[in-house]
Amino acid sequence: MIYEIDHVTTYDYAGRVGSSRCLLHLEPRNDARQTVLASSVEVDPAPVEMIVGHDFFGNAMRIVRLAELHARLDIRARSRVAVAPAGPSAPATTWEHVRDEAAVIANLGPDSPVHHIFPSRYAPLLPAATDIARASFPPGRSAAEGARDLAIRIHGGFAYDPDATEVSTPLREVLASRRGVCQDFAHLMISGLRGLGIPAAYVSGYLRTRPPPGRERLVGADATHAWVAVWCGRDGGWIGFDPTNAIAAGEDHVILARGRDYGDVSPVSGVVLASSGQRLSVSVDVRPVEEPSPQALAG
Amino acid sequence: MRNAASQPDPVAQARLHALVDGYRPLAGTRDEMVDASGRPRRHWEPVLAALAAGRRSEIDAAFAIADRHQQDSGVYYRVYDHGESKERAWPLSHLPLVIPENEWAAIGAGLIQRAALLDTILTDIYGEATLVRDGALPAAVIAGSPDFLRPVVGVVPRGGRMLQVYAADLGRGPDGRWWVLGDRAQAPSGMGYALENRIALSRALPELYGRMNVLRLAPFFQAWRGALAAQADRANSRIALLSPGPLNETYFEHAYLSRYLGFLLVEGGDLTVRDGAVYVRTIGGLKRVDVVVRRLDSEFADPVELEPSSQIGVPGLVQAVRAQSVALANALGAGVLESRALLGFLPALSRRLTGEDLLLPNVGTWWCGQQAEREHVADALDRLALAPAFSRVEGWPFGPVPVAGAGLDSRQRAAALDFLESSGRGVVGQDIVRLSTMPVWREGRLEPRPFTLRAYVVATPDGWEVLPGGFCRVAESQDPRALSMQLGGRSADVWITSERPVDLSVTLLPQPGAPVVRRVIGYLPSRAAENLFWLGRYLERAEATLRVVRCLAGLSVENSETNGPAREALFRLLDLLGAWGAAPVPTPLLRGTTTAAIEASLFGAGQPGSVRRLLEEVRRTASVIRDRLSPDAVRALAALANPFDHPADHQRGPGASLEMAEHALRIIAAFSGLAQENMNRLSGWRFLEIGRRIERGVLTGRFVRRLADRDAPPSCLDALLELTDSQITYRARYLMGAQRLPVVDLVALDDGNPRSIAFQVARLRDHLAGLSDLPNHAELDVPQKIVLQLSTALKVIDISDVETETVLSVENRLMDLSNEITQRFFTQAGVAADGAEDAS
Repeated sequence: MIYEIDHVTTYDYAGRVGSSRCLLHLEPRNDARQTVLASSVEVDPAPVEMIVGHDFFGNAMRIVRLAELHARLDIRARSRVAVAPAGPSAPATTWEHVRDEAAVIANLGPDSPVHHIFPSRYAPLLPAATDIARASFPPGRSAAEGARDLAIRIHGGFAYDPDATEVSTPLREVLASRRGVCQDFAHLMISGLRGLGIPAAYVSGYLRTRPPPGRERLVGADATHAWVAVWCGRDGGWIGFDPTNAIAAGEDHVILARGRDYGDVSPVSGVVLASSGQRLSVSVDVRPVEEPSPQALAG
Repeated sequence: MRNAASQPDPVAQARLHALVDGYRPLAGTRDEMVDASGRPRRHWEPVLAALAAGRRSEIDAAFAIADRHQQDSGVYYRVYDHGESKERAWPLSHLPLVIPENEWAAIGAGLIQRAALLDTILTDIYGEATLVRDGALPAAVIAGSPDFLRPVVGVVPRGGRMLQVYAADLGRGPDGRWWVLGDRAQAPSGMGYALENRIALSRALPELYGRMNVLRLAPFFQAWRGALAAQADRANSRIALLSPGPLNETYFEHAYLSRYLGFLLVEGGDLTVRDGAVYVRTIGGLKRVDVVVRRLDSEFADPVELEPSSQIGVPGLVQAVRAQSVALANALGAGVLESRALLGFLPALSRRLTGEDLLLPNVGTWWCGQQAEREHVADALDRLALAPAFSRVEGWPFGPVPVAGAGLDSRQRAAALDFLESSGRGVVGQDIVRLSTMPVWREGRLEPRPFTLRAYVVATPDGWEVLPGGFCRVAESQDPRALSMQLGGRSADVWITSERPVDLSVTLLPQPGAPVVRRVIGYLPSRAAENLFWLGRYLERAEATLRVVRCLAGLSVENSETNGPAREALFRLLDLLGAWGAAPVPTPLLRGTTTAAIEASLFGAGQPGSVRRLLEEVRRTASVIRDRLSPDAVRALAALANPFDHPADHQRGPGASLEMAEHALRIIAAFSGLAQENMNRLSGWRFLEIGRRIERGVLTGRFVRRLADRDAPPSCLDALLELTDSQITYRARYLMGAQRLPVVDLVALDDGNPRSIAFQVARLRDHLAGLSDLPNHAELDVPQKIVLQLSTALKVIDISDVETETVLSVENRLMDLSNEITQRFFTQAGVAADGAEDAS
């Protein structure tokens, strides 16, 4: 499937902002099942500097510096991405084997699971999360099967509630209230898996906006989405699971970036020297290219 | 202390025996001063002889010199934040640690070997990671460290060297071997204290210091400075020391080293990154920085690519490092070398990378991320200490300091074993080193105390250079296990003694009459300029308040609130204090109001304009520019402010208040004298002066309006003359009592009177002209225009036309000037980088 993605981020500031420096993770990465055909990022007002590169984990990254006084910042990212369906069979490596393999792996590179076995800022080690995960991993079960089960159990045990949490809400609170959004569920699942020694990474990305005929729209399709990549052993590699929708990541999931948690891959982060408040709005449209555009339908 | 006489002095001999006989080394522990049989070691004999040569009072007096020196230099300076204060940790222990040069040479070789090894490992970790790939170093030992900074992986530092400053914490075991207890590579601290301890102790024991051929520290620092300067590609390189700020516990040291080595002391907010280069905001615009001595933990150095919540970093610094436009000492991410987890692998890594064994072994360490090691540690828990493997380990049940397994109760033991099992890769087990002891001086006796020694190495173009000395920490207790060292104690100077006379050509000691402000390279950072400006303003306002209090206290002797010839003056002065927030507004005027107002104005913690509060501001502004103030100036300000913090009861009442005000005014006069006489005529001094002149002009205006309006009785005019120190001039000039026009003329318009408004304006004009050779300077900028207008207005005005409104408009223009100076020199928003900067 080939998608066209249009992702617009707008900041409206209460006052005028003079100088800012932002780090953008807005261009999809190439991955086992996905190829980026084209991508672009436009920033208004025009930055005085724009550095294009890749971060440690191999995600495309841009750093922009704005100097012009502005009260509104528009960032528009557009891309064209080809996504292949998931392979037919999941790897059978047991979770214990995955755990032991990750612990001694002789690889410090960007794809190494070793970066994803330690707690991180948004995915701290919490005994309660580990306990939830443990129930999905009886001895001898394959890591992939356990991860799928865990995603289903998180989906069943937690309510999707966009008003319950913010980016800064600690995982502990999510566990207590049993409510949250995709980001919270992803962090919860990561924390639980790491508690067992299973490497788990955070994936930010998109879902297809309108479902194929006859299927329901997925939750999280109107903004950026988040799910979990689980390392299933040297042979299995990284496999995506979406606890918000209780499924394995498939052809409807477009990967933007992968990191240890939200902090590594947030689409727009940075330093804005503004004393007053700001309002953020985000719109995302992910459309298969063979599907007619909304304009075409209206016209 | 007297020189040990060549003739055996029986009294000294007896004292020597008493000292040695009374010294009781701990059982099973090596002692530095005496050997196993209790006989003094040869290299300590001169110290013992010197102690025995004097009476106890003489020795105590010598040590008091060292203490006083440290107080004077501001080592003990307190940092104030919301009323919280901190004293310097590790005050000076008076006896040096003595190590003979030949023994030190072996230690130095070990340090150099280790520094080179660690630099190689660090470069590999952030580069090819071959050590991990080849299985010599588990990936988790690196990936698990919060100090492993992924954004700088693959970044090649300018000059190619990541580790430039390295320190090792050393201890000596019972067998006499020196051990490395820990590695310091993030931003090693303590060198400044070592320097300061040396100066203090060499002043206290000058003869002994000279006689023992102690190797000097200065050449090391010279070499380091040269090495840093060599990393710039310009002749006039700018080296900045990046500090987390005055609330950091080692800020004293940052300021001290900056002063000593001529670095620009900066905080994150002083620096900005443009097009991949680092600039410092100065009063002359943005200026390139070539080298940064980083005393800020890497993680906090850049909120864009590193810790996003950091308020103390420099946005874009990683980008600048990547662009190789700036050299950092040490490189970002160097902290990963401090992980205890790494220690266990170093012996094998040394053999692998250099083919040699470690010359200085490190304390036996087992990283529990490996099964065999984990099991060993669990089995040997009673003999070992447990510690977090990294600088932060989530869920670790104990503190950052190693805990002895044998000291855990059953519940703690269970928690430890539990954590070991579930999160072993966050834990190390370590041997417990029994430290050797050195003597401390207590009540005329010598007592053994365990110590550790932090030793320093820096990279230079000619190889690694070792500091001949170090920062020695002496425990308060006699527990010789290395663990207890973390609990605090004293610090000692370290004397490496030579058989030969030492080269004295490079000196540490500041020359007599050294300037209050050191000439640092290039322009004054805007933040420093702003703080000097406000230091001047607060100091002047404190002085004016003290003058009013003094005047009031004098008047209240002869007059009361209800009676007396100068009652009107009394009332108006109280009103003045009320108007600027020094005391409550005095309505209605009752008996006793004056005493209460005086007390509030001096000590009132709730009065924003009280002397106490103003001096807090003085101290705060001074604390952030302490690298630009001389020890004398710092001491004067501390002496000025201290009595107002906690006034004793006997310091209350009009007489005592008068005395306190007089005393404080004398100190301010002394500070002014220091500034006038000793400060270089550099821009720093000008901003201090500009602040004072603006404030004095405004406050004198207020005095004139309040005390010399058309209805003012002579008592008020007299008070005005007193407040402005102008009685003598007035009496010399006019053979009559105070009359309004001549008084106003003298106090406001006479530019020959140093306290007149016109005089302040004239000085402001000079100072602004003195700053006009800064780059990006307009022909006549706004501040200069304001001063020019004011000065003309004050010259042409007819004295009979001076009304209170006239004076008020002058005050308002001075306040405008203050705002414009802030805009022009301190706020650098939107300023373009000075790309084509010439030598500066």
